[in-house]
Amino acid sequence: MTNDLSQELLKAILDADRGEANRLIDEWAARHGYESAVTEVLTPALEAIGQMYMKTGEATLAQGYVAGKIAEDVLTKVLAARQEVGAGDAPLKGPVVIGNTEDDYHPLGRKMVAAFLRIAGWEVFDLGVDASPSALVDEAVAKGARVVGASAMMYSTARNIRKLREEIDRRGLTGRLQLAVGGAVFKLRPELAREIGGDGTAATALQAPALFEELWNRSLALESQPGLKEVLP
Amino acid sequence: MNSLERVLNTVAGKPVDRPAYTLTLSLYGARLTGCPLSRYYTDPAAYVEGQCAVRETFQPDLLFSPFVLTALGEAFGSRVAYFDHYPPNLTRPAARSAEEAAAISLPDIDAHPRLLFLREAVRRLAARYCGEVPIVGVMVGPVDLPPLIMGLEAWYEALLFDEDTARKMLEKSCRFFIDWGNALLGDGAAFLALPDVFSNPTVMPRRVVRDLAMPALAASFGEIRGPIVIHHGGSRLAPFIRDYTALPNVVGFVVDARDSLAEAREGLGAAPVLLGNIDGPTLHQQSPEELQVRCARILADRVQDPHFILATSAADVAWDTPPDMIQVVCRTVQENGKRGL
Repeated sequence: MTNDLSQELLKAILDADRGEANRLIDEWAARHGYESAVTEVLTPALEAIGQMYMKTGEATLAQGYVAGKIAEDVLTKVLAARQEVGAGDAPLKGPVVIGNTEDDYHPLGRKMVAAFLRIAGWEVFDLGVDASPSALVDEAVAKGARVVGASAMMYSTARNIRKLREEIDRRGLTGRLQLAVGGAVFKLRPELAREIGGDGTAATALQAPALFEELWNRSLALESQPGLKEVLP
Repeated sequence: MNSLERVLNTVAGKPVDRPAYTLTLSLYGARLTGCPLSRYYTDPAAYVEGQCAVRETFQPDLLFSPFVLTALGEAFGSRVAYFDHYPPNLTRPAARSAEEAAAISLPDIDAHPRLLFLREAVRRLAARYCGEVPIVGVMVGPVDLPPLIMGLEAWYEALLFDEDTARKMLEKSCRFFIDWGNALLGDGAAFLALPDVFSNPTVMPRRVVRDLAMPALAASFGEIRGPIVIHHGGSRLAPFIRDYTALPNVVGFVVDARDSLAEAREGLGAAPVLLGNIDGPTLHQQSPEELQVRCARILADRVQDPHFILATSAADVAWDTPPDMIQVVCRTVQENGKRGL
């Protein structure tokens, strides 16, 4: 944790105290700006929650949700601050495409992923629930995305992601378009990610930015050195 | 000894000829009878036919009422989509917020078509298997009903950020839960089984569990005129299972396949029934040999536990599970679990 304010923010998130969390962010931003609040206060707190969730199971799903809402709150302020100084709101990374897989109507996790990606600077095109494989790939191609993320809550619908894998491969986009998979069922059964053809997964929405970064870089590496396809996991 | 006697003896801790077992084969009945799910989950006769096929094929000691929780959401006005090989999903909740949901009238449990389907299925199953097989009435608890009416996100918002509205919603939800649970028991369900999600400390902060969820469960369970079984709802239960033991009318717990049965038993004490410990949705991913060994190990581990029922956890056994895999579980209990009375 880089500073005491991050510790306080972490406590506010764990207590689901959204008002206090925003007050702490605003306090820092008044002195250093919102961009700095993201890197110096919010990001360390989010990383700490991710670690708690992964390693000790101390953080709950609800606390992850609270973290996502606070990330959304801060992102809104970052964008407003950028507009104020005429800096525009152009994202720094991406674009990427996400959606709930075919037949999946559980949007919560996907929305959390979108919030954490956006706060990390990604441009996100979100196709919502029940997104067909062709719609996801069409959007990825149209926007020039290198990563497409598919979310599924249950085992039954997670298996539909295999159709997205097939669509990517059928269009000759293997490697170029990386497939990130996630959702509650992958937390319970991490091996499922590989079974249904995912290129990577993250146990929590908080870790989605790191996963997308890794997959984006892998796509770039594979494009510049196609031979890598044979050796990369 | 028939299934009813075996289960009742298990609840009472009395001797049984072999351990009772059950698998969540609510969905699987449709596969056995070749019934389209849009009919299976709306026509009581079709559902009962499927469960009769389950009983004839696998001889489980407990049968389930339709495991189609979205039907409760439909009764409040939510919309669902039907699929070929798994239960319906909620596509559009009836309300956009807890405030809106709290203003919706409770559905008439004696008139709403979706509720009548569920009740009629219980009545027919109970009549068909009277004195032979207990019927489990599958429903949701008062803290887990609201997402079926407003979606997960709105319920999170209320529980985490708007306690007054959450309490209003819980009052409404408790009223429905009590009436609905007692109706199912009156229709012939021997037990009520409730997947419990929002009172689990891995899902909600302790503050919400302590101040909102547990009081709602305690108040409403006390009004239920029959036994209740708490299902883990997708999260581990064993580390927190002690917290549930003071709830009224709770006689059993279905734990997660990742839970340790020994840890769960330690938390529960001697009396409540413990059910598990095979994961239903991934049953088909093991080899028959692996599954047989796993079942035998579980039975050996629980041989001194008179309150144990071998069961699948999580959601339904998947549609494409080969019947032979289910038979492995059944045969292992029937052949390896024999006990002298």
